Amino acid sequence: MTSKSLRFALSAAAVAVIGGLLGDIQPALAHKEKHSAEQLKAFDDVFMEQVRIGDLLFHGDGATEKKLGTVLSKTGMACAMCHPYSSDTHPHEFPKFQEQMNAFATLRDMINWCIEKPNQGEKLDVNGDAMKALEAYITWSNKNSKLDPGRH
Amino acid sequence: MNQRDALRRDMHRTLLASATTPDRTTRVTRRTFMRNSLLYGTAGAAGCGFFPFLNTVDMAFAQAGQSFRFAWVSDTHLYPKELNSRFVEKTVRAFKEVQAMNPPADFLIFGGDLAQLGDPVELQLGAELLKEVKIKKVFIPGEHDWYLDMGATWNKMFGASPWTFDHKGVRVIGLDTVSFAPDFWTARKMSPKERMGHMATLDGTLGGAWSAVGEKQLRWLSSTVSNWPKNQPIIIFTHTPLYEYYPPWNFWIRDWRDAHEVLKGFTSVTNVHGHVHQPLYNEIGSIRSIGMLATSWPWPYAPEGVPTLTRPMVRADPGDHFDGVGWSELAVNNGRVANTYKMWRKDVFAEADADSGTGDNRNQILTPRMADRL
Repeated sequence: MTSKSLRFALSAAAVAVIGGLLGDIQPALAHKEKHSAEQLKAFDDVFMEQVRIGDLLFHGDGATEKKLGTVLSKTGMACAMCHPYSSDTHPHEFPKFQEQMNAFATLRDMINWCIEKPNQGEKLDVNGDAMKALEAYITWSNKNSKLDPGRH
Repeated sequence: MNQRDALRRDMHRTLLASATTPDRTTRVTRRTFMRNSLLYGTAGAAGCGFFPFLNTVDMAFAQAGQSFRFAWVSDTHLYPKELNSRFVEKTVRAFKEVQAMNPPADFLIFGGDLAQLGDPVELQLGAELLKEVKIKKVFIPGEHDWYLDMGATWNKMFGASPWTFDHKGVRVIGLDTVSFAPDFWTARKMSPKERMGHMATLDGTLGGAWSAVGEKQLRWLSSTVSNWPKNQPIIIFTHTPLYEYYPPWNFWIRDWRDAHEVLKGFTSVTNVHGHVHQPLYNEIGSIRSIGMLATSWPWPYAPEGVPTLTRPMVRADPGDHFDGVGWSELAVNNGRVANTYKMWRKDVFAEADADSGTGDNRNQILTPRMADRL
């Protein structure tokens, strides 16, 4: 098993662990019991796996793009080439009026604009797995930034 | 300590064997710059905004010499033209404008990163486009030109560095500051393309502190300036900045202090560098560094370390691929050198935070990437 597929397997296992820990408890019953350390780690593992996938997409990893069925760029450019460390993506400023779109926009709108315009790629399903992973990576990269919604 | 600080400190600790970590005393304050400017007559008379420049950064040489102009183009990052025609269009525009300079420039310095992935097809495309420029051309490599075949194609096509020549009273020097990456590829059994891919990722972590002058080149530099009068001007071309700006992106040369030591005593040293894709200006002692634009795309200013003397560029419009990029014209007139950014837009420098490439990041805190370390 490759390290990548191993990580996917571990992530799936983490989700299974969460399910196992929660047993038959339905989402409506969340937080009714104290969380165990294992649960919290499993939650974090799920998040960090999405960050990792988003990191790879953001940096133009062809295998990850193929796996998720996305075409993020047709110019050779990757998101990280203009946004090292995800800088200048400003997830903490969304939603806001976005000048390039002449519209009130969310971070996901902006991600799709960048994919379609500078990168000449194919826009993502705004609720799809690739979009969620990119959002996870961008927000994780900017964690601790001060929320400042609406700022140009 | 956050991850970025930890990474930065780790790079210093493990990779700076022969260099000294700079401390706060090396930072030049605006007051120091103003004082030096008055002493040497370097400041422009603009006086508006909070820095005394217009679109030009002026520098004074210790002695007046003959007048001449030269052009800088770098960071074209060419892909095969079938994949990316935009970068070709911008490179063509820059070279045509250089060739159209009237009176002509004495020479063009190409400052590295002609190619994106070091592919001979990309380098050959660059060589074809460079034919537009008929004046003398000199070259230094960028890391994107180097790490597919460790500079073999680059050196064959554009010549090896370092090199030097004297031009109208100025000693001109070109250094290779990109070929010093610690070997991260052999143990990992990487292919040349994989190695190049990591080196082509600005915020990648495997490449480490790859930018240096190196002991051999430092000896060469010392020998090269040994017979040059201390009060005569020197211009040093490097791909990366000859000071510490932001090591995690190799916005520095790791043994820059050793190079400064070699140049100690010279009263007028101008370092012109690429790699950063943004206007920068710094002074340390009598050594000044000016950062050049790319033709390909602009980079955001790093989250820390922007020299106090830098007047930030405007925020570029990512929807206009000609915005925030360009080339530079540098004029030497009666002992003074003036750099003019040829950015393809009306305003180069920001006057307000809302329009600034640094001012819009006041609430931003960044974390280094993680996927290439797993």
